[in-house]
Amino acid sequence: MSGDHIHPEPTSFLRKHVFSVDHKVIAKQFMWFGLFWLLIGGIMAMLIRWQLAYPGTPMPVFGKLFFSSTGGVIDPASYNTLFTMHGTIMIFLGLTPLMIGCFGNWCIPLMIGARDMIFPLLNMLSFWTVMLGGAVAFYSLFVPLGGSEAGWTGYPTLSTTVANQGTGETLWAVAVFLIGASSIMGGINYMTTVIRLRAPGMRWTDLPLTIWGLFFTAVLNVLFLPVIGSAMILLVLDRVFGTQFYVPASIMAGGGGGDPILYQHLFWIFGHPEVYILILPAWGIVSDLLSFFARKPAFAYRVTVGAMMAVTVLSAVVYGHHMFTTGLSAMLGESFMLLTMIISVPGEILFFNWLHTIWRGSLRMDTPMLFALSVIFVFGLGGLTGLYLATISTDIYLHDTYFVVGHFHLTMAASALFATFGAIYFWFPKMFGRKLNETLGKIHFWGSLVPLTIVFCTMFVSGYAGMPRRYYDHTSADYLKPLQHLNVTTSLAAFTLGIAQLVFAFNFIKSRWWGEKASENPWEVGTLEWTLPTPVPHYNFKEIPNVVCGPHEFSNPAIPDGKDWIYQTEPLAEQPA
Amino acid sequence: MNRLVSLVSRARVRWLATPAALLLASTAASAQEVVDRWGPTPPASTYGPRFDSLFSLITTLIGISFLIVLVMLLVPCLRDNAKKGKKAHFDHGTSLHDKRFTAVVSVVVFIVLDAWVLVRAMGDLREAYWNVPAPDTPGIFKVEVLAQQWAWNFRTPGVDGELGTPDDVITINELTVPIGRPVVFNLTSKDVIHSLFLPDMRLKRDANPGAINVAWFEAAKSGDFDILCAELCGYAHYQMHGKLHVLPEADFPAWEKDASALALAAYDANDTEARWAWDWKE
Amino acid sequence: MATAVELQREDPRARVNATLGMVFFIGSWSMAFGTLFLSYFILRQRVGIWPPPGIALPSFPMAAAATLVLLLSSVVLHRAVARVRRGAPGAAALWAAATAIGVLFAGMQAWLWYDLVLSGRTVESGAYESLFFGLTWVHAAHVACGLVALLWMQVGLLTGRYGVHRISPVSNAAMFWHFVDVVWVVLFVAFFVL
Repeated sequence: MSGDHIHPEPTSFLRKHVFSVDHKVIAKQFMWFGLFWLLIGGIMAMLIRWQLAYPGTPMPVFGKLFFSSTGGVIDPASYNTLFTMHGTIMIFLGLTPLMIGCFGNWCIPLMIGARDMIFPLLNMLSFWTVMLGGAVAFYSLFVPLGGSEAGWTGYPTLSTTVANQGTGETLWAVAVFLIGASSIMGGINYMTTVIRLRAPGMRWTDLPLTIWGLFFTAVLNVLFLPVIGSAMILLVLDRVFGTQFYVPASIMAGGGGGDPILYQHLFWIFGHPEVYILILPAWGIVSDLLSFFARKPAFAYRVTVGAMMAVTVLSAVVYGHHMFTTGLSAMLGESFMLLTMIISVPGEILFFNWLHTIWRGSLRMDTPMLFALSVIFVFGLGGLTGLYLATISTDIYLHDTYFVVGHFHLTMAASALFATFGAIYFWFPKMFGRKLNETLGKIHFWGSLVPLTIVFCTMFVSGYAGMPRRYYDHTSADYLKPLQHLNVTTSLAAFTLGIAQLVFAFNFIKSRWWGEKASENPWEVGTLEWTLPTPVPHYNFKEIPNVVCGPHEFSNPAIPDGKDWIYQTEPLAEQPA
Repeated sequence: MNRLVSLVSRARVRWLATPAALLLASTAASAQEVVDRWGPTPPASTYGPRFDSLFSLITTLIGISFLIVLVMLLVPCLRDNAKKGKKAHFDHGTSLHDKRFTAVVSVVVFIVLDAWVLVRAMGDLREAYWNVPAPDTPGIFKVEVLAQQWAWNFRTPGVDGELGTPDDVITINELTVPIGRPVVFNLTSKDVIHSLFLPDMRLKRDANPGAINVAWFEAAKSGDFDILCAELCGYAHYQMHGKLHVLPEADFPAWEKDASALALAAYDANDTEARWAWDWKE
Repeated sequence: MATAVELQREDPRARVNATLGMVFFIGSWSMAFGTLFLSYFILRQRVGIWPPPGIALPSFPMAAAATLVLLLSSVVLHRAVARVRRGAPGAAALWAAATAIGVLFAGMQAWLWYDLVLSGRTVESGAYESLFFGLTWVHAAHVACGLVALLWMQVGLLTGRYGVHRISPVSNAAMFWHFVDVVWVVLFVAFFVL
């Protein structure tokens, strides 16, 4: 395995900090980019929650800023744009760059003992493509007729010119295409790097689970982002050139023409794997963090990897459960229901492996560990409620209600976000040489976990009561009027959640420049990145390390010197029986 | 599971038992209260109770599962804290015992959580949701639904029982159906995708442009119920709602006669726009 | 890769790296075209009678000729790569021939479009035209990219930047061109044979 490809250290500012091909710099670029969009998407969420709790009431501060023409009231068209872009931004521009862009880039070379990604130039191109995609998405908000209003799923014919003549929707499709292209570049790079550049001695079973999660995500990215890319090309052709891929002829005119359901198939063939694209790195990171901070080996490592692999494979064949009310044939519907339910088995195996990892450990309750533990909690809530939605006869009622909103936010949003926070708190010392403040971290943690649980559990209640999602004003229908106080509860909790993120922003900025200096291995963890000095030198490893031991040998009695951890480059005194 | 048993029998965690029991009791009580106060309105269709019953079953199953997860999560957090000087137990979890545990739990989870619910759901689908009465079934009430931005157009057969005839009752946002007769829908849309949502009937079905979807229900209660749109359809999506009037058997024929007579009187053979009926799809 | 001394032959590890990356890229792009073909079959099934009766169709003889031309360019390209690999002379000339045949294919493709538009069928005419124009446009975009890559390699071969000492860009470009070729064959079969 070769890891000796070297590009010379750049000297100019532009090559060093802007157009850098160094994976560590690109990781930090992805981090700032993702955090910026997380902020924008978060503000959008606050606006949405304000409108839902107090419909038609002028919003303080932000209302004057963004909706001055209506006196601070959010109008229905802007509201539709808000939730569309909230979804698009959080998934494609917030979580994906943070989780996969930042930590993929940061962790993969450092944790497998490589000097850089295998294709550094492609890596840089990946960042600048997503940057372009972000710029297009941002610009789409300011064109005449406004940004996309068709939801992040962009179902035709609402997203075609039948219902929307503006360029905002077209630009949205272009942005999704560009972001997808960026993810494919990243995916190809990650896969090839993990396969080719592992340090000598590093077997597949010596990889930290973070790398496994990122590897499976890369596979899904490479396979399924092209599907959404093609779907977006067809959508743009429909909008710009008047083709008939998604626009049907009316039933009364004899039918024929395009097929809006075709888009739903294409979208969810991509869309369901996308959920796992976001959650697999989170699972990997959580599996590692739990072991690191419980000072115990990850329980049944191979089984965990197998379960993640099973989920990767299954993710491709369950997409139909998003379309139970669309009009699938009975046979297809039942097959998708069964396949979806099968996913609960690898899911359950992961849960028990995590719980067994911390069982009888020696738990260090630092902030990364708190976030990792909370992922078990929120993903448990979100994952188990998936059973209602996998079951067709209950999904018929719950589909497109707030129940679904609560479910997917807990699984793909909250779990991925909390794992990302855990990762930020964990790798921050190696990235920036300083530690994030622990007290502020704990305030941030509890200030996030408690309101977040209230937000999404209240959504379960309102969804169960039948409250449809994507409504501008729930007081408009008699049926929903008695449920309005649930919206107020959700929103107040959401505002608290939003304020808690300011604590994180403050902590991040303060600790980045003025925080407490961190030692080179503050968490006492043995994976390869902690063998390096801080800041990590340009070439990472002066000599490519020789790996002789697994990533999770905590509390192994064979560790010399009475420590409870060992570097992956250090041999155990004797192999345990 | 034996890990759990050993945990409960431990004297030092016995203090958990009382609060846990209290929590469980209050959770059960408050869950019932949540359903009564904020849950859906009582089911008004013949198959509606199936949803409520399956929902409760799933709630019980995942409630127990989540409780197990919660206990296994909280116990190490409270008990195995490094600050208390606890030493970690070195274990890779690769023993035969562990493998057996994983296998057994997987099978149990699949049977209890998945297979049980799956069988119940298949039963509900085949006996109720997908058991759409054939078009020639005596006594069925056919409705053609043409959705548009942002209104529901309903076409019911009128006294002659045939769709596409001059006495068809065509209404906007108001649908009147009889109690105790299967109401079968043919749904499509003029422009974008809509979704007919009758929360009281536990029914939802998309109205897709360029295709016809079929759905049905049979009302078990008379009264006025809400019709909502459940698929984002643009600017006024949130205002696209109507009313479903379920009339008692005694009242329906009189209503239908009046409505049909009105429809006949207002029929304009030159108004091609109004003749949007299509061939019935099974 | 960027070692100071030019090696006689390319480092085999670097070659494997580059080839593996290209294989993943092509796997990924196969999914993109697979999606387009899936759309083709779903819409085709929806229309029922295929091709829809009574409309002007793209010229079969021209499409068949274009297919043969593209296959020929692939064969020539393959031989050119073999020569580069052996360090045999004439590689650049063969490469130029393959590129020229590729340009000829692009011309034939343009003629197919022009012919169809002349008979009054545009991209807006219906599902068949949407599919034919849409899919061939996406394919043509890849032909264009492929030609740019081939020309780039041509320059590299002539200046000695690429050769037996640095072959992976050359073989990757050729692999991409073969992929574009295969996609066209599937397009041809879908529109003109099935």
